[in-house]
Amino acid sequence: MNMYIYTVVGIIIAVLSALSRNSMRRLIVAASASLIIAFLAFPFTTSLGALSRQTVMPTLAAISAIFPLFIFVLLAALVPLFTNRLNARPSAISAIIAGLVTLISMALWSGQSSKLVKLAPLYGLMEAITGLIIAGLIVLIGWNRKNLRYLFLVLGLAAGITSFWWLSSSLGEKYLPNVKGYYKVITNVPSDTEERIIKDFNESLEALNKQRKSIGLNLLEPIQNITGLGGQKLPRAAADEGLRLLEPKRLGYGSLVYFLMAGLLIGSGGMLLLKPKLRSESDGIGGLMIALLFSALVPAFAATDFSIQRIIKGWPFLQNFLDRSWPPNLDALQQVASQMLVTIEIAFLGTFLAAIFALPLSFLASRNLTQGNRFMRAIFIFTRSFFNVDRGIDTLILALVFVAAVGLGPFAGILAMAIHSIADLGKVFSESIENVDKGPIEALEAAGASGTNVVRWAIFPQVAPLLASWVLYRFEINFRVSIVLGLVGAGGIGFVISEKMASGQYDQMIVAILAIILVVNIIDFTSSWLRGKLM
Amino acid sequence: MIEVKNLGKTFDDGTVALKDVNLTIPDGDFIAVIGLSGAGKSTFLRCLNRLENPSTGEIIVDGVDVAKLRGRALQRYRRTAGFIFQQFNLVDRLTVMENVLTGRLGYYSTIQGVLGLYSERDEILARDYIRMVGLDEKENTRVDSLSGGQQQRVAIARAMTQEPKLILADEPMASLDPRLSDVILGLLKDYNEKNNVAVLVNIHVIELAKRYAKRILAFNKGELVFDGPVDILDDALEEEIYSGSLEML
Repeated sequence: MNMYIYTVVGIIIAVLSALSRNSMRRLIVAASASLIIAFLAFPFTTSLGALSRQTVMPTLAAISAIFPLFIFVLLAALVPLFTNRLNARPSAISAIIAGLVTLISMALWSGQSSKLVKLAPLYGLMEAITGLIIAGLIVLIGWNRKNLRYLFLVLGLAAGITSFWWLSSSLGEKYLPNVKGYYKVITNVPSDTEERIIKDFNESLEALNKQRKSIGLNLLEPIQNITGLGGQKLPRAAADEGLRLLEPKRLGYGSLVYFLMAGLLIGSGGMLLLKPKLRSESDGIGGLMIALLFSALVPAFAATDFSIQRIIKGWPFLQNFLDRSWPPNLDALQQVASQMLVTIEIAFLGTFLAAIFALPLSFLASRNLTQGNRFMRAIFIFTRSFFNVDRGIDTLILALVFVAAVGLGPFAGILAMAIHSIADLGKVFSESIENVDKGPIEALEAAGASGTNVVRWAIFPQVAPLLASWVLYRFEINFRVSIVLGLVGAGGIGFVISEKMASGQYDQMIVAILAIILVVNIIDFTSSWLRGKLM
Repeated sequence: MIEVKNLGKTFDDGTVALKDVNLTIPDGDFIAVIGLSGAGKSTFLRCLNRLENPSTGEIIVDGVDVAKLRGRALQRYRRTAGFIFQQFNLVDRLTVMENVLTGRLGYYSTIQGVLGLYSERDEILARDYIRMVGLDEKENTRVDSLSGGQQQRVAIARAMTQEPKLILADEPMASLDPRLSDVILGLLKDYNEKNNVAVLVNIHVIELAKRYAKRILAFNKGELVFDGPVDILDDALEEEIYSGSLEML
């Protein structure tokens, strides 16, 4: 695949955004910062071992040891970050230079043939970074609480050191094997290693060919140089030693960043030369934000195998599915109607039960009602913690557990929904209670009313419509959740869909889907109308 | 009769709001409390029914130091001291009647209170005071649909329904149209004369204080700088009370 297309895309983006009067200097900062992030963190090319899990995708930083030209990519990308405070001209010229340096080094790199290299793991680096992040987060949490600041500082340091120690220990190596020596530098190998591997390969060829012949594969020729190993991968022993076959032509997803950013730098640098006014305040911070967003998106596309090609390839199947599901087959109407009712009832009962339990709990979880004494504060912390843990466990996961415990059917769904919704409702209830007008509370206290009476007559009347509105809103959500609950065996319309899907009765399934669209809209409309009336 | 001895209040942030206040409030007195904003008038009133806890000193009511009361005993004391707020502090979503009846909550057990089981006598009492403040047509109206002046009259009825021995009113006219001042103060004055109940009103309009009160208390920077009958409050004294007001601008 020709990567230069990304350079062209980069130039086009730069020109278009210059035409719409966007700041070119911001684009330059964004592109340079993205280059630096990619240089340090994005996999650039492939290096093969014997097994697929031994494949390592090194970054430019890791390859710099054997291909020092890449250092210039880093240096060239740093310059525009510093010149951006100056006039347009130095900023533009340094951007163009950075773009060209990047393109040239990419071209020189991919002109090479496969190469045997050795991995040199940097032990302790990932462990230290993890420890620093943990320590930093804990210190940050405590920083705004003046009286606890030093406690959190000590706690954070202790947690950071402990995690560093644990990751470095044999336990860490056992449970998180990728962490140890995660960062690796690529180094050259002595030239005789290559000959040794070629010799070993050629010697083992006879046995290998015997095997291949027995299963009907074509026979392999002896190889002259390491490139011939390409399709074959390294011998196991060599790979275990830390040797890898670096393949400059098999580029990883990180490489597109270099081509794209080179195009952006050249394009925006050129446009800035032509129109020096295309700069604005806060280009630095704006550019960094764009770079961070971009750098978070690129690995996400790669990690989820996002591909337009697959949608295009799959299109005929989608069309076939639609053809087979139209026109709807009304044979399923009775079943759909009955199961839709079950789904609504699951949502209704699940929400109702949750509201009943959430109401008293939410008073215990309200900060303003629980500061009287130590006992009440302990209850507050306990209830809040219960809410936070419970909120973290989704209804679907709870449903899987309850289906296993009480069997398939709507009851498991109701239990799961009620238990998850208690925490969700409890949390918003207690936030509403915390935000009530304090005046009436004070007035009733001043008249000698007891705490319970203050809750009943000063707080409850204020929050009741809010709470009712939250319950309605939760019901809307729970109805949609209960559709999906059917898919894990908790009954209702979702179960109909999975059943029809499995048996290929798409024309019946479409009836259920249409019913869902209709009912979801009716419920949302009614609920928001009711909530409007309550306020 | 209330005796205040060496009353002082220092807030958690170190602000001194009251310093060494000493005075006696006989039954049936009508007292206006004047002074600049921030002088400690509000804190003084709030200490008297323990919306603020005094830092030092005693408040002796019928031989008991109420400055130290806690729990149930504090609630029993509070029902004898009605409080009227600048912002009315009504429960917006309840009706006039329901709001006025909350003034009786101090006389009920928790269960009776939560269920709203008010006695017939108390309902008649509440209705009487609602009529007295001139809102008998509005008994079952939600208070958030009333005007500001009407809301403050509901709050006054609530305080009176407590059948208190003392009424504390913290700037009750400050959020209202100035023309309503006479209505509010007139209601308090009537109640004071008919029931021989002491009334303390924070006022920043000194003419009103002179017109209604028998006695004036003046605070400046947390100290009680004047305590005496209205007639001896002359211009020189007034100047002293309001000294420092230019600095504050």
